[in-house]
Amino acid sequence: MYSEQCPIDEQRSITESVFLLSFTSRAIARTGRPGQFLHIRVRTGIDPLLRRPLSIHRIDPQTGQISLLFRVVGRGTRLLKDMRPGDPLDVMGPLGRGFDLSGNFSRALIVAGGMGGAPVFFLIDALLSLGKQVTLLWGVGDGREIFGTDEYVRKGVDVRVATEDGSLGHRGYVTELLDVFLKTHAQDQSFRGFVCGPECMLLPVQRFARKTVFSWQASLEERMACGVGVCQGCGVRIRNQAEYRMVCKDGPVFDLKEILFHD
Amino acid sequence: MTDLTVRIGRLTLKNPVLTASGTFGYGPEYADYVDLNRLGGLITKTITLEPRGGNPMPRIAEMPAGMLNSIGLANVGVERYLAEKLPLLEKYETAVIANLAGSTVEEYARVVMKVQKHPRVDGIEVNVSCPNVRKGGLAFGTDPDVLCELVRSVRSETDKTVIVKLSPNVTDIRPVAMAAASGGADALSLINTVMGMGIDIRTRKPLISRITAGLSGPAIKPIAMAKVYEAAQAVDLPLIGIGGIMNGEDAVEFLMAGASAVQVGTLNFVDPAGCLKVLEGIETFCREQGIAKVSDLVGAMDHG
Repeated sequence: MYSEQCPIDEQRSITESVFLLSFTSRAIARTGRPGQFLHIRVRTGIDPLLRRPLSIHRIDPQTGQISLLFRVVGRGTRLLKDMRPGDPLDVMGPLGRGFDLSGNFSRALIVAGGMGGAPVFFLIDALLSLGKQVTLLWGVGDGREIFGTDEYVRKGVDVRVATEDGSLGHRGYVTELLDVFLKTHAQDQSFRGFVCGPECMLLPVQRFARKTVFSWQASLEERMACGVGVCQGCGVRIRNQAEYRMVCKDGPVFDLKEILFHD
Repeated sequence: MTDLTVRIGRLTLKNPVLTASGTFGYGPEYADYVDLNRLGGLITKTITLEPRGGNPMPRIAEMPAGMLNSIGLANVGVERYLAEKLPLLEKYETAVIANLAGSTVEEYARVVMKVQKHPRVDGIEVNVSCPNVRKGGLAFGTDPDVLCELVRSVRSETDKTVIVKLSPNVTDIRPVAMAAASGGADALSLINTVMGMGIDIRTRKPLISRITAGLSGPAIKPIAMAKVYEAAQAVDLPLIGIGGIMNGEDAVEFLMAGASAVQVGTLNFVDPAGCLKVLEGIETFCREQGIAKVSDLVGAMDHG
């Protein structure tokens, strides 16, 4: 784990509210794994006070460049959006336990919703390098938030898109794409499922997942203070665990079938 | 070179910067970021006789220049603390102060009895100021008579330094400080969090599941300063100032108000090496001002 000031290389807008920021840190690039997050201090002053956890969107191991994909939802992300190339970014990480890509599976099914797309690119890069066959189901509200998929289609990833505004792919929710997909694959043990997105999407995906024969890993989003398990603020209930598990330290990736939402 | 050592009760600390309970885990969690040997002292997370899971989520919320928390003293319990957590601190040369709480006087005494025997425990901090538990906690920190009895009972269990951590959630902190002193405390630390709350007006839900919670961070620093100043007038004990310290200058302010040392809390969440930056800031100030001993700053405010 590192705590560093990293100069920003690029700030790119995907839409008016979604941004892709990149910076360079060889140390973090060397050690970061898919599903891990970085804890970003958006301002050196006292307000806003706390860091913002953002999952690693992508790492270029050659150049040490790291990118973050984020939506402007509040004051912290607005300040982050306003940062410019050359500005120093205060980064702590990589933190948390990422996706477990070990073990026996040949096909990966990834379900992403909204900003759940953020950790997915890094995950796909890792899966492809392990020779896995990848299907990505990606749902967003506004079709313009879908970007960068051409590269993965060229690399053989089966990409299926759902948009609520119907501007791209299937009009509707990503869970509808999942329903269709699982009609033919729910009993296929060569799969492993991965899901990233807000809780309102994880809940229905969990219901589908529990009817499949393969295992699923979910990356959770949670507000945090410390990011390292000290403050005990980001707990989640896991089946058969007496105590809360901490999203920052024990996660953010958990076994989807075992997560107890609203508990 | 400034002499940074300070005396807190029966302990001599190598410098006046400690990490506040509940913001630094059991110690090793931040060892990747902080050379623990450089700390004046490390105060571990509040432990209780039995393990506690803590309060329901949500337990934290960001506030302007601060945060609310209602963790509810989640901890591994005294047995695991002794068996698993304290041994990890054996290789470090910094004072370890065990913070503890209970729901009855007897429970406090039993935890003290178990903890104080451990060679790695240099002192005890008694938490009588947690606003986030139903039984115990704050109940002991607001009534001078009850507090005096509790401190006396703790005192009778140990010869190690006893620090009592006070709450700001009282009308007047002076009688509480005096009660802790007459019960036999070696030192007082103040303040614990300030009671606060917030509501999400769109969902109409409280920001914290238990509704009220403890506010910490720079937002409470002026309150903490006033409480330290008042306590310094009321008792002749070393005080440890706590509340929103973000840098060395904040720490020096607390010393001038009457604190002999300080604890860094919420800053640890923001900057994991923040406590050492506070220490460096104190050193810089002393060097610039030609201060020979950091203890010369204690209560050094010019009343005019």
